[in-house]
Amino acid sequence: MTEAAVHTEPQTLEVALKVWRYDSRTGERELVRYEVEAPDWVTLLDVLDIIKDRVDGTLAYRKSCRMMICGSCGMRMDGAAVLACRTRMKEIVEAGHVPVISAMGNLPIVKDLVVDMEPFWSKVRAMKPWLQSGYEEPPEHEWRASQEQMNVIHKEALCIMCGCCVSECNSMESDPEFLGPAALAKGMRFVGDPRERNQVERLNAYNEEHGIWDCTRCYFCNERCPKGVDPRDAIAKLGAESIKHGIDHDMGAKHAKWFVTSAKTTGWLRETELVPKTQGVVSAIKQTKFAMGLLRHGKVPLPFPPHVAEEVDEARALYNVVKQQGRDGALGHVQGERALARIDHPDDAGAHGGQGYRDSPDITPGEPPVQRDIGEDPHGQQTR
Amino acid sequence: MKTVAYYRGCLASLSAKELDTSTRALAPKVGLELVDLETVTCCGAGDIHEAEPDYYLHLNARILAYAEATGSDTLMTVCNVCTLNLRQANFMLSNDDVLRERVNANLESVGAPPYSGGVDVRHLLWLIAEGDGYELLKQAAHKGLKGLRVAPFYGCQILRPSRLLGFEDPDRPWSLEAIIEACGGEPVDYPAKIKCCGFPIIQAREETALGELIQPIEQAIERGADAMVTPCPLCHLSLDAWQSKLEASTGRHFALPILHLSQLIGVAAGIEESELKFKRHVVSVKPVVEKLSV
Repeated sequence: MTEAAVHTEPQTLEVALKVWRYDSRTGERELVRYEVEAPDWVTLLDVLDIIKDRVDGTLAYRKSCRMMICGSCGMRMDGAAVLACRTRMKEIVEAGHVPVISAMGNLPIVKDLVVDMEPFWSKVRAMKPWLQSGYEEPPEHEWRASQEQMNVIHKEALCIMCGCCVSECNSMESDPEFLGPAALAKGMRFVGDPRERNQVERLNAYNEEHGIWDCTRCYFCNERCPKGVDPRDAIAKLGAESIKHGIDHDMGAKHAKWFVTSAKTTGWLRETELVPKTQGVVSAIKQTKFAMGLLRHGKVPLPFPPHVAEEVDEARALYNVVKQQGRDGALGHVQGERALARIDHPDDAGAHGGQGYRDSPDITPGEPPVQRDIGEDPHGQQTR
Repeated sequence: MKTVAYYRGCLASLSAKELDTSTRALAPKVGLELVDLETVTCCGAGDIHEAEPDYYLHLNARILAYAEATGSDTLMTVCNVCTLNLRQANFMLSNDDVLRERVNANLESVGAPPYSGGVDVRHLLWLIAEGDGYELLKQAAHKGLKGLRVAPFYGCQILRPSRLLGFEDPDRPWSLEAIIEACGGEPVDYPAKIKCCGFPIIQAREETALGELIQPIEQAIERGADAMVTPCPLCHLSLDAWQSKLEASTGRHFALPILHLSQLIGVAAGIEESELKFKRHVVSVKPVVEKLSV
């Protein structure tokens, strides 16, 4: 081999993976270990390709563009949804870690790493993901949307619908009908579009059961999204737009509004009044027995005398000043996005706590969810 | 001693007073001098952030400004939700001069001090999981936990979104385990330790929330935990107070004692029951206390 050839020859890695194989026809599942030699620049997707080419042609996974655009290759690595084409293996291999690869969560598994995306698409379709511009005839001039107007949905428009945000959505694990982060971010993409004319109708629809107020704010979606959409923030924009338009019939909206009332009256949360203000008096009375249990342990602080912050007048005056400046609704969220995008983190800042990748024996979250006795579906995913 | 501005938040002032008293008792033992903030308000939880985001930013700017006025460079929190809210607002204000100037003009117009961006928001957990705080913790925890099996429950908003929190890998956190070990306990590992307790929607969507809440409790018990510890009073309220609802809806018996972080260390550091206030818990902590007193 010539010296020039040595320089062009990539370094190689011995890559090991454990893959959860699964066949939905038989229900058989098996954790299979694969070891292959690969160039040091490989991604997880490249490694799966090598395994499929050279070791086991029956391994099933989805792929298309290989460049983070098509959103096909979402899967879990050690329990965390990733795009396989975006995940470089070198650092993981050099840490001596053997990752567990499995199908995304919250969607039925068809085979191995391939999930049935139909529940995902049906929720996206339910958002009516098209512009409703409100006119029949073409307008005389083209629409001119300013950059400032489009900034409202800049992040939401980045979505490639890979499903990574849905994979670990905690609300959806508990309520499979929850519309979820991807669909709701798509909803915000249209609510916030300056050409859209049906905002109120949309917001009313998204405020129904299984809609925006079902989000448990676990932030797994923001953590997993490979494109910076930050679906949880999109849901917060929808909440703000709902309140701005006076759509506050849901208990979630009432709950949120009580915090605002508390802050501007006493400064601190008026905790004891939160239940009746959220659920209504009748429903709150039904909770009396539960509340008495809490009362015995001091968990129901008496509302009188109220716990009032010193200088609470400032908090009240601030509310009035802020309302006059009119940054209600999504604008109030959008104004902080530029600053948040500037956060400068070295890769994996503080991550691993200096402990490297730890092999967690039997409870690696990448393994299929633990079966619970409150039911399971034929695909082995958790259900209620 | 490190002087920190202490933001106790709503719950530690109200239904979780035991968190406040145990934190105050613990602080000097781990090298922290707490400066109280009397003029601050609620951070708005996820609720004002969602409903009135501009008001959320101003309320948190006001808290940061009063913290800065104490002269300390650190604002210490004892709640996950306060931590995320304040850190997020802090990043917004520190990284955008135009936004900060507008907010400061508003703060000054109502008589509050302006904020220059000089405060770092740190949860108590982070101050004692490494560095000097950790060394002092090891010394302070002289009574130990006699191998008590403790399930760490992180909750969401101290881990995610990690670009705003950034202390540890959100999928492989280690700080609570390190503290449990330093106190002489045995950490119990289980998958749901990084998941949601359901609290934010426990009033509006109780069934969905209980479906989340059952996971950590069930898994911790299956793996033999004697108790669970959490750095968040909202998680604590959910895990402790709503456990009875979980028992009622499943017909099962859990009785898993839930401790605030400052209480767990407090036990190991010999802090009196009058400061730990276990009687304020709905699920009895008696089995833990008895196990340790043998």
